[in-house]
Amino acid sequence: MEKILTEYLEKMEKHLKPIAVAERSDIIREIKSEMQELQRARIPAEQIIERLGSPKDLAKSYLGGLLSKESGFSWNRLLAVCAFYSLVGFSGLFIIPCLAIIAPVFIACGVAVPILAAIKMADYIFNLGLPYMENIHVVLGGIEELNPVVEFIISCLAGILLYWAGRGAWKLLLSYCKKVSRAKSSLSI
Amino acid sequence: MNIDDWKSQLKRGTLEFCILLMIKKKPSYGYEIISTLEKYPIMAAKENTIYPLLRRLLKEGYISSSWQEGLEGLPPRKYYSMTDKGLDYLSMMFVEWDNLLHAVTELKGE
Repeated sequence: MEKILTEYLEKMEKHLKPIAVAERSDIIREIKSEMQELQRARIPAEQIIERLGSPKDLAKSYLGGLLSKESGFSWNRLLAVCAFYSLVGFSGLFIIPCLAIIAPVFIACGVAVPILAAIKMADYIFNLGLPYMENIHVVLGGIEELNPVVEFIISCLAGILLYWAGRGAWKLLLSYCKKVSRAKSSLSI
Repeated sequence: MNIDDWKSQLKRGTLEFCILLMIKKKPSYGYEIISTLEKYPIMAAKENTIYPLLRRLLKEGYISSSWQEGLEGLPPRKYYSMTDKGLDYLSMMFVEWDNLLHAVTELKGE
């Protein structure tokens, strides 16, 4: 590529400074691509430059949208930002720790409960005489002495419910976080 | 009588529509879009109009882009293609375009 063309791109890049690096290099790459297309059509470098206009003006045309977005201060926007952070701050104070504790604990209990009941049932059926089995039992409205097989079935159901509740809490936590980040990006704060 | 002012206003309003129509027909790259528009004097626009416009359409999610490496001596090209959101937007534009044509035809008489 001719020197005047690379110089053009360098100058343009300088004027694109307010734009993030990745986007800036993409813009330059696209203009470079067009220069190469024009060269392929045997258009001399001077004419290519003439066609594109001054590097400063071409760079400015990309900045147009950016500037008007940045200078867009309004009370409505300020209120929206305050409302957003107050809401997220207060709700996050409760929602995030609650769900973050509930989710793993419920899932762990959901797994542990049927396993423990199964051990007790095995102990009962095969007379294994395992220690501490008297500590595992289902308490249902005052009836404490249930058959270990019945206890196992109840434990399985309870385990499924606990596991399901834990998963639900986890999904709720994820969707809460996603909603917050989406709301933030739509406010473009 | 300054018809040029009116023409540039017309162009400003319809350029987006034309670009989306072109991209819908087939994925296209910037220079291709510019040189196709050059065929129609009323729609001809320079790089400093088209590229920022494409970038805005991209940011709004109406189109998507992907770089394609140059094969057989061709330069690398950034192809733009339609998204579902863009197709919805375009179909809404069609409705308004028809409304406009209808109004103009009816007001003209005959």
